[in-house]
Amino acid sequence: MLMRESIVMKIHYGTALGAVFLTVIHIMMRMTQDFHESLEYENVLANYEMIGYAILLELLLILISVHGFNGLRVILLEIRQGATYEKGVTYGCIAAMAILIAYGTRTILMANMGMV
Amino acid sequence: MEKDHKAKEGIKGWINPAKYGKFGIERFAWILMRITGLGLLAYFIGHIYETSNILSGEAAWNSMLELTQTTEGHIFLALVIGMCVFHTGNGIRLMLVQMGYGLGKPARPDYPYKPQSLNMKGKACIYATIGIAALAMWYGVTVMFG
Repeated sequence: MLMRESIVMKIHYGTALGAVFLTVIHIMMRMTQDFHESLEYENVLANYEMIGYAILLELLLILISVHGFNGLRVILLEIRQGATYEKGVTYGCIAAMAILIAYGTRTILMANMGMV
Repeated sequence: MEKDHKAKEGIKGWINPAKYGKFGIERFAWILMRITGLGLLAYFIGHIYETSNILSGEAAWNSMLELTQTTEGHIFLALVIGMCVFHTGNGIRLMLVQMGYGLGKPARPDYPYKPQSLNMKGKACIYATIGIAALAMWYGVTVMFG
């Protein structure tokens, strides 16, 4: 066991609340102008180049990844139990979460630094 | 040899419609929480991949964006909005329940042994969450098609 389940669930709830708050800001950014206009290439790139917004996106990426893959782990453990299975699910979810965070971070960093 | 501890019913237990009649709206909220959670995770992974196209230049970005700028794409995004709002609302309800709010006062278990926790407050919250999710979907549709 990597961590007590009660601690994991506190992290699950904390990441959920944080993600809701940041998602609202993320959506509000689309509402600052016409929805379709806000999705144009130059506008999206300009969003990435704002350092504050890039930090928000990175935080959102981490919070949703942690929450999402822990949720998936919980669902998979509800369906079936067993020491090997549980270990496999836990490490599999951690690996998938790390890959997704790394991939998303690459996009945020490269777009923020103008490497497009 | 490791003992296999399979859940008694597994996925079959999730999708058995007889369970909904027996356990009511709470059971429906339980399954919907899992379906919306899985749906949102799938959308999130797709969204991370979709937005990474910004690195491939304007043409790649526009061609990826075209996929969501269709009627089907807008309906899909409206569903994502609905899933997101329901998952959030029901999640907040569950957090409050875990903190002990809205559970009702403990009472002697008498026939027909209705649990105090499955009360009208909880049911009303679930119905309200479904209603708010539907309203958010409608608002999303008006913005996207507007």
